[in-house]
Amino acid sequence: MNYENGKKENIYEIKNLQKWFPVRRTMKEYLNKEQRYIKAVDGITFNIKRGEIFGLVGESGCGKTTTGKLLMKLLEPTGGELVFNGKEVTHLNHSSLEDYRTKVQMIFQDPYASMNPRFKIRDVLEEPLLIHMKNEERIKRTERIKKALAEVRLQPPEEFMERFPHMLSGGQRQRAATARSLILNPDMIVADEPVSMIDLSTRAEILHMMKSVQRDLGLTYLYITHDLSTARYFTDTIAVMYLGRIVEMGDPDEVIDNPLHPYTKALITAVCEPVAGKVNRIKEVPIKGEVPSAMRIPSGCRFHPRCPYAEEKCMIPGIQPELEDTGRRHSVACFRFKEI
Amino acid sequence: MKIIDLKNALSDFWKEFRKVKSGIFGLFLFALFLILIIFEPALLQFPEANNRWRDISYWENNPKSAPPEWTNFFSSKKSSTSSVLESPEEKDSNMGGLRMKEYTFIYNYDFDLPPQDIIFMAEGNGDPMVLLSFTRPDGESIDLIQKNYTLGDAGRLRISTEKDSKLEAIDFASGYEEYSVTDKLDPSLVNPNEILFSKAEKGMIKSKIPLKGEYILKATVIMQNENDIVKNGKLIITGRVFGVLGTDSYKRDLWTGVLAGIKWALLIGILTAIISVSLGVVYGVISAYLGGFWDTVMMRIFEIFVSVPLLPVLIVMSAVFKPSIWTLILMMCIFFWVGPVRTVRSMAMQIREETYIEASRALGASHARIIFKHMIPLLIPYSFASMAIYIPGAIVYEATVSLLGLGDANIVTWGQILSDALNSGAVLNGIWWWVVPPGLSIALMGMAFAFIGFAMDKILHPKLRTR
Amino acid sequence: MDKIKMDEKNVLEVKNLKLYYNTSMGQVKAVDDISFFLRKGETLGLVGESGCGKTTTGTALLNMPTPPGYIAGGQIIIDGEDIVPIPEKEIRKRIRWEKISMIFQGAMNCLTPVYTIEKIMMETLREHRDMTKDEAYDRMVKYLNLVGLPEHILKKYPHELSGGMKQRVVIATGLFLEPKVIVCDEPTTALDVVVQAQIINLLKDLKEKLDLSFIFITHDLATEAEVSDRIQVMYAGKIAEIGTNLQVYGPQGPAHPYTRRLLSATPKLHEKVEELAFIPGTPPDLLEPPTGCRFHLRCDVSMPQCRLEEPPLVEIEPDHYISCWRCSR
Repeated sequence: MNYENGKKENIYEIKNLQKWFPVRRTMKEYLNKEQRYIKAVDGITFNIKRGEIFGLVGESGCGKTTTGKLLMKLLEPTGGELVFNGKEVTHLNHSSLEDYRTKVQMIFQDPYASMNPRFKIRDVLEEPLLIHMKNEERIKRTERIKKALAEVRLQPPEEFMERFPHMLSGGQRQRAATARSLILNPDMIVADEPVSMIDLSTRAEILHMMKSVQRDLGLTYLYITHDLSTARYFTDTIAVMYLGRIVEMGDPDEVIDNPLHPYTKALITAVCEPVAGKVNRIKEVPIKGEVPSAMRIPSGCRFHPRCPYAEEKCMIPGIQPELEDTGRRHSVACFRFKEI
Repeated sequence: MKIIDLKNALSDFWKEFRKVKSGIFGLFLFALFLILIIFEPALLQFPEANNRWRDISYWENNPKSAPPEWTNFFSSKKSSTSSVLESPEEKDSNMGGLRMKEYTFIYNYDFDLPPQDIIFMAEGNGDPMVLLSFTRPDGESIDLIQKNYTLGDAGRLRISTEKDSKLEAIDFASGYEEYSVTDKLDPSLVNPNEILFSKAEKGMIKSKIPLKGEYILKATVIMQNENDIVKNGKLIITGRVFGVLGTDSYKRDLWTGVLAGIKWALLIGILTAIISVSLGVVYGVISAYLGGFWDTVMMRIFEIFVSVPLLPVLIVMSAVFKPSIWTLILMMCIFFWVGPVRTVRSMAMQIREETYIEASRALGASHARIIFKHMIPLLIPYSFASMAIYIPGAIVYEATVSLLGLGDANIVTWGQILSDALNSGAVLNGIWWWVVPPGLSIALMGMAFAFIGFAMDKILHPKLRTR
Repeated sequence: MDKIKMDEKNVLEVKNLKLYYNTSMGQVKAVDDISFFLRKGETLGLVGESGCGKTTTGTALLNMPTPPGYIAGGQIIIDGEDIVPIPEKEIRKRIRWEKISMIFQGAMNCLTPVYTIEKIMMETLREHRDMTKDEAYDRMVKYLNLVGLPEHILKKYPHELSGGMKQRVVIATGLFLEPKVIVCDEPTTALDVVVQAQIINLLKDLKEKLDLSFIFITHDLATEAEVSDRIQVMYAGKIAEIGTNLQVYGPQGPAHPYTRRLLSATPKLHEKVEELAFIPGTPPDLLEPPTGCRFHLRCDVSMPQCRLEEPPLVEIEPDHYISCWRCSR
């Protein structure tokens, strides 16, 4: 699925990407040569434009984090194709992987857990340099570290370099983690829930910082989150995932103000808003139950058991709704979106 | 900066450590052992003991199977202690072309049980004739020995009253005792000193009432040839009690043996523990990190090593190869490394799932970097703790192998002392001072490290978990 | 025992509660002299950033501060009885779960994985009341149905249930001995939005049906807006503001500068903003709290007085309490 978003080129093309995790077999299955899979990511297709922030939104278990790891090459895809900067990167050998790793970096959800507690910030930031630029002098490395820390506004850098992660506040830690991902001058950064562990009062501060760094350096972000509110503010394109598939994708304002997929609609109604007059009123949540296991994906449209609008045509095994462009930079994967 | 960090870390550690009483006790014991090692040269009465532990001639002047000196304190009958009379009255004279040297020793006997032996020793060469005479406090004078000696190249004159004056002593006794008693005596079973230090009266062979007072021993050396030289005469009183820890039935000083054994015990313990724990930790981490097929393969290999019983293998290997301390340590390492593997593997599996490991992988870090930079440093506290716990194990194993007579013959270890004790029936003969000190030392050394290890475990482990 | 006089409308009163932690670095006053009350049948929301003392307050209400924390002073009055001096054994028997219960943060993980739901629930029950097995079973089924779970769930193990179902089990366990007050510590934080909405609906429904009073602890002002009748905003171990839902979220907006800034930092889904607001700086280190008003370092309207004197909590309009020098005048 593609939109013509200006004349920007695609930095990353994801084509029918799949990741199936095999389930440990029982003796019977072993004898029958059966194998069940957890289909964490089951055929997703989207393009990320150079210089944009692409938001991947969904509930836990929808496959958004797996997608991030697939793009980071931390997992090998089961099927599909990945094209980065015009080059196929689906499967990489050792040397081209090393090259790829300098171009794509990651920011993790928990900034504390993503840094070795025994490393000083200096060591944390030095690690990518030691891995990829072994021959550089120590003084030059220090210069780079200082520059990166200044970029994320951890001032003065000299002081922060000598601190351990636990001596920083949550926001400062995430800044340091961002600095680490910037230090190799990457083209793209995968940010997996970068602010969900950070206090509400400083969350926006981190998002500001990430956005200004992105503008300054012309970076591309893949922003993975469960939080629609920050996604609306932060992203240029948003994709909603459900059970390993993208159900709706497009301009964030358009998707949130005018959702087409029943799942997106339910998500948006369920979000709490800090406005008066909602207390003591039971909220209408149009969908029932919880997300089924990715091991037993319903046939037909995988949302149909929870969908209030499901019809017979939604349940035909083997036929899944594909993303359909509605114009207005908005596409949806639903058989009945025009009727509802 | 780094040194200060280390200092802080250490002082923090020490603050925590101080709270664990058993750890402090262990540290105290360890310090005690270290001090003993450092001052070993000063403390050793027999400086060559390390090299000549199995050289019987080195120990010949000691009493045999003598209990420690301090046992006198607890018994009603005081045994004579051992001593060396080194500065005798010396007199040179010339009689008809024969040069003579006369040594006069004065021995103050104030015990209830006489010495085992009285030995006259001198240096020199040639074939001197020696006359030993003995004057008792009651005025009796006995000529003990009159004999020609050939000194030869060794240049050492050694005359033992216990060996050479049996008949003279019986003769002396028969002057007071009935013939029927003295006649039945088997000279080879008689210790002449028992007669010589007893009151001269009827029934002296049986009752042996000690005669306390000043004894004078005169040794007259007659140099028959022109070139004969005799000098540095001394008298060695071989008592019935000896030194700090007594002697064994080979006359070896056990205090010396135990003291000399400390450094070997430490060496065996620490070296084995460091090598095997390091190996085990690296193995466990690699196995956990690689996971999947390689993990399975490595764990099967590990299980093979676990299931081979160490002791029989050690015995066979020691029997086949010339047992030396180094091969012993090597053998123990080959089997001891399995100890920490399982725990380390499970800990490493947890660490492997940490986000910062994944972050490092996302940065493109190599396997070696992740294992050695990120994972193993976290396991260092555990490694230290388990090293401390493996040290006693290694010491006991060495003792066991030595106990079976398969130890390194060039050194003295506690296990070997125990082994000798067992072979000589020390327990049956009631020579407890041969068995208890080395056994206790093994236990104390083990305890020291076990306590340190437990304390470290207590301090370092929760930190690892709560991080 | 003499009953302490309470306002008739109140079910819980907290007076001058202090909860301190003694650490190797010094004393941390996690909750420093706070007073508030809970009315019958209302939900009081405790909001604040992490480390502001909201969870600590919650555990203190059940008289079970997490060690090394301890209640250093004050009163917690439930049913005319101060529970602070009551010994632990008696609390466990008579107060906890009977009069006041708690639904924990990440509650889904407090279910022991090796026991069936029945056994887990039975555990709480049997400690407290002499009840036959059948009675207990009936009661369990009653409360499970009330939270929307079928009877056969009792035979299942926790891992067989989804996150939302587990949360419901925990809520049923909390209700079980029919307490008057339920402390909910971030009961929805770990859940997905849709399930979160379902649980919030359930809690509202239970409040109606069983006439319960809730204390709802969360860091999220948006959730509080949908749940709580009154909101109590905490900052660095102190109460910054207490106000009704309308006073805080209404058109007039909250009175305390901290609440105002926290609210503007809360993203609103249906509002397109160019720049999200935030509060610069970090909450103070409670080992060395700042002098005067604890918020003055991050406050954009602070005055010289704020640095010197600690503002008292005053009622500026009915039911609206605030501790701020600038805004209370």
